[in-house]
Amino acid sequence: MEISSNTQQDNKKVVATCPACGLLCDDMSLEIKQSGIKVLNTNCTKSIQFFEQPLGETTPKINGESVTLQQAISHAVTLLKSSKNPLFAGLSSDVQGFRAVYSLAQKTNGHLQHLNSESMARNMAVLQSTGWQTTTLTEVKNRADVLMCIGTDIVSHNTRFFERFIWLSQDSSAMFTDSSKREVIYIGENLNTQAGVSPDGKQPTSINCSQSDLPEILAVLRALIAGKKLKMQTVAGVQVSGLLAIADKLKQAKYAVLAWIAKDLDYAHAELTIQTITETVALLNSQTSRAAGLSLGGSDGDTSANNANTWLSGFSLNDDKFDHDAMVWTNSFSANKLPGKTDFPLIVLGNANTTFEQIPDVFIPIATPGLDCVGTSFRVDSAVILPLKKVRENKLLTLSEVVTQIEALL
Amino acid sequence: MITHLKNGRLYCPVMGADGVIQDIYIRDGKIIAKPNASEKISQTYDLTGKIVMAGAIDMHSHIGGGKVNIARMMLPEFQETKNYSEPEAHICTPNCSHHATPNTADTGFRYIEMGYTAAFEPAILPINARQAHLEMADTPMIDKGGYAMLGNDDYFLRLLSRKADQKAINDYVAWTLHATQAIGIKVVNPGGISAFKFNQRRLNLDENHSYYQVSPRQILKSLSTAVQQLGIAKPLHVHCNNLGAAGNFQTTLDTMGASDGVPMHLTHIQFHSYGTEGDKKFSSAAAQISEALNKNKHITADVGQILFGQTVTASGDSMMQHLNTKFASPKKTVIMDIECDAGCGVVPFKYRDENYVNALQWAIGLEIFLSVEDPWRIFLTTDHPNGAPFTSYPHLIRLLMDKSFRNEAFAKLNLDAQAMSNLTSLNREYSLYEIAIMTRAGAAKLIGLNDRGSLSAGAAADITIYTDQPDREAMFAKPDYVFKDGELVVKNGVVVKVVWGKTHTAKPEFDIGVEQDLTQYFDKYHTIQLDNFKISNDEIASDGRGGVITHTQSN
Ligand SMILES: [Zn+2]
Ligand SMILES: [Zn+2]
Repeated sequence: MEISSNTQQDNKKVVATCPACGLLCDDMSLEIKQSGIKVLNTNCTKSIQFFEQPLGETTPKINGESVTLQQAISHAVTLLKSSKNPLFAGLSSDVQGFRAVYSLAQKTNGHLQHLNSESMARNMAVLQSTGWQTTTLTEVKNRADVLMCIGTDIVSHNTRFFERFIWLSQDSSAMFTDSSKREVIYIGENLNTQAGVSPDGKQPTSINCSQSDLPEILAVLRALIAGKKLKMQTVAGVQVSGLLAIADKLKQAKYAVLAWIAKDLDYAHAELTIQTITETVALLNSQTSRAAGLSLGGSDGDTSANNANTWLSGFSLNDDKFDHDAMVWTNSFSANKLPGKTDFPLIVLGNANTTFEQIPDVFIPIATPGLDCVGTSFRVDSAVILPLKKVRENKLLTLSEVVTQIEALL
Repeated sequence: MITHLKNGRLYCPVMGADGVIQDIYIRDGKIIAKPNASEKISQTYDLTGKIVMAGAIDMHSHIGGGKVNIARMMLPEFQETKNYSEPEAHICTPNCSHHATPNTADTGFRYIEMGYTAAFEPAILPINARQAHLEMADTPMIDKGGYAMLGNDDYFLRLLSRKADQKAINDYVAWTLHATQAIGIKVVNPGGISAFKFNQRRLNLDENHSYYQVSPRQILKSLSTAVQQLGIAKPLHVHCNNLGAAGNFQTTLDTMGASDGVPMHLTHIQFHSYGTEGDKKFSSAAAQISEALNKNKHITADVGQILFGQTVTASGDSMMQHLNTKFASPKKTVIMDIECDAGCGVVPFKYRDENYVNALQWAIGLEIFLSVEDPWRIFLTTDHPNGAPFTSYPHLIRLLMDKSFRNEAFAKLNLDAQAMSNLTSLNREYSLYEIAIMTRAGAAKLIGLNDRGSLSAGAAADITIYTDQPDREAMFAKPDYVFKDGELVVKNGVVVKVVWGKTHTAKPEFDIGVEQDLTQYFDKYHTIQLDNFKISNDEIASDGRGGVITHTQSN
């Protein structure tokens, strides 16, 4: 885009979009120098790690030995031709990258499995069993007067959530509520509640409990909101009176937002916890006020992959385990997230900085959308889809370019 | 390269051809006048005894974007419905997959197999437009386009509540069309989606939004005026307040007057034609609505016919869909507030012919079809997938063209509903010419597609050829040939070539100065930058597979 022609100049500044987490912050101010990129306006470590990563080894490899791109592609083709049912795993990319891999999987009788499939499946289970009533980030920013963070501190996943959507910076503002007066409630295990302290120092309400007790505690909270009179004084060590106070806050809110992150609800049948949250939202909406659920997190292009898979196939991505006899691991974004150990042929189309525990049969370094090439990504709320920019110059091919070449030879 | 279609019987309302035997010539994707003898004809199709129409155009079908994808995501069980029992079985064509939530490839294939060459997504949330276009880009075979939703977005409501002048509204409307690559403007439950976020649960035409203190009537007036003054061909697309509520016909009648004579299109009007008579306090107001449509020449409408079976309702109308969550079948729903821009509600629904309300809804739709006199002002839709999947169009066409078939179907309905409908007293049977108006010429004219919906020289060669069969359902389900931009893409009901179609847009001129205020608004209240809101032509082109066609109004 407009950047590419200017990257030779020193100290060029651009505004870019960061795909390092599900928030897709598109206000990233970058300084682009010959020596590398510097993030100027945030100390979000995920963004800094993303934009400031060095350009890694760009030569493809077969069994760890450097080869030409054509050699690597033709070896990948050979491996895929002798596979009956390859598994396409990882799937961390943007819409265009995913679409290309989807097409290759169709052609090779392959299955798809995203590296976040386990946590994504928790949300999909709820969507497919009861549905939900949810909101999106701009609504939260302008409307939310009570925010409840359930089983998550949010900021471990979405660093700038409170800064951008709750407390707001000087030149940003909420249309329908006084952002500095928002009520923040945490409930979960040893959560870091620091981000929930308001600009004028008001501490958030916090209930500490073990993550595995969340189902029981949330069920009691829902019962209290439903107006049930309970005899018990405590539930899983938590005072019912404290929960009653929270129930009142939620009912009195003009727009209560109940947030969760599926990855942080990491225990058996966590989908039931999410369902209790979304049912609580539906209950509030059926009474006298407004409320909404908010599923946060979103990383490794999971929201993009899930949406694209759904319109292409009619189905959401799932967490089924598949028999396979070869693995194609695709990861445009992260150098650290690796395939599990496999005894089958392994083809990796990945970030140029990837270092392996298991040397793959074929490794083709690919461009990272938002850094080395343009792209399109879904924000975690699925409402907003943003273009990603190319901010540095190199010769890496995109995932879809590589996959298209492979597909053409099959 | 000239293709010659010989001896076909043409039904083309643009040419006034009502079953005229006439040849058609195609060159470079366009229909041309008879070439001179020296020009070489490379291919000839003998269409003796065949019926020739322009490719059909679906002017209202939810084919892409957030809520459609949520419906797919929520309803994996819909993807595997192959064996039908009653009542589905008697509404389906044998080949009909009857998916209410087809994937993008299915969507394109099922449309082209029926001779439809374009479909328009009627509810593009501006903030979510990129997704709608991504999905439409992955929809093969047909042309597409969409209407951008305004009227519940806070930017517009702020303008209206501070009594901004009409020019400011016009500039914002035009800017939105450009930014979202849409061809028309839609308003859904004017003001109501926003009001729901402020905890209002219903909003009537002259009731004020509690925060902005503006009424749906003011919203309709302002937006319809903007559309007219900007020279956008497609009249404001209006999904009225009080969707689906008994007694809502009065709102619909009043809405017709809300624009003071400025053109408006009332969509899925069947869902807005309900009275409160009878024991069940739910009755047909089709007669009143049709009479008003006949009288109000500035109003057009599509029906949004329901047909029996399983489907899903996917609407921008979060306020009314929230009230419908209790009717969900299977029992699951999604309701969303979206980006200070819009909302959505996805509620799966099973229409049953033994159910009084559903049976009457079916009859109401048909009563409207048969009572509205001017086929140029009424359009054939099921509001896919809300009333039924678009794959049921051939069945619907037969219901309109075949009175005895219609009356047989009516006789199977809930008896109380039969008693409340005058359907069997309506003897009208649509002609092929009238079907061609509704599904081709009229739709193209309404949307402002200058070169579609016509078989005359200069039009794009989107052409559908049928065998004349007394069973109109069988006939319209499986054309012999479909040409898309001059290429043969369907033969005997089967796709023989995959093409990708283009995206139709309208881009009226406006004062770019509007971006100054919008930039400030975005920086302060939104969560993305204004520049990222705008969708470029390159994005639609999607590596050369797609492309943008921009229509200008000719008058
Ligand atoms: Zn609608
Ligand atoms: Zn609709």
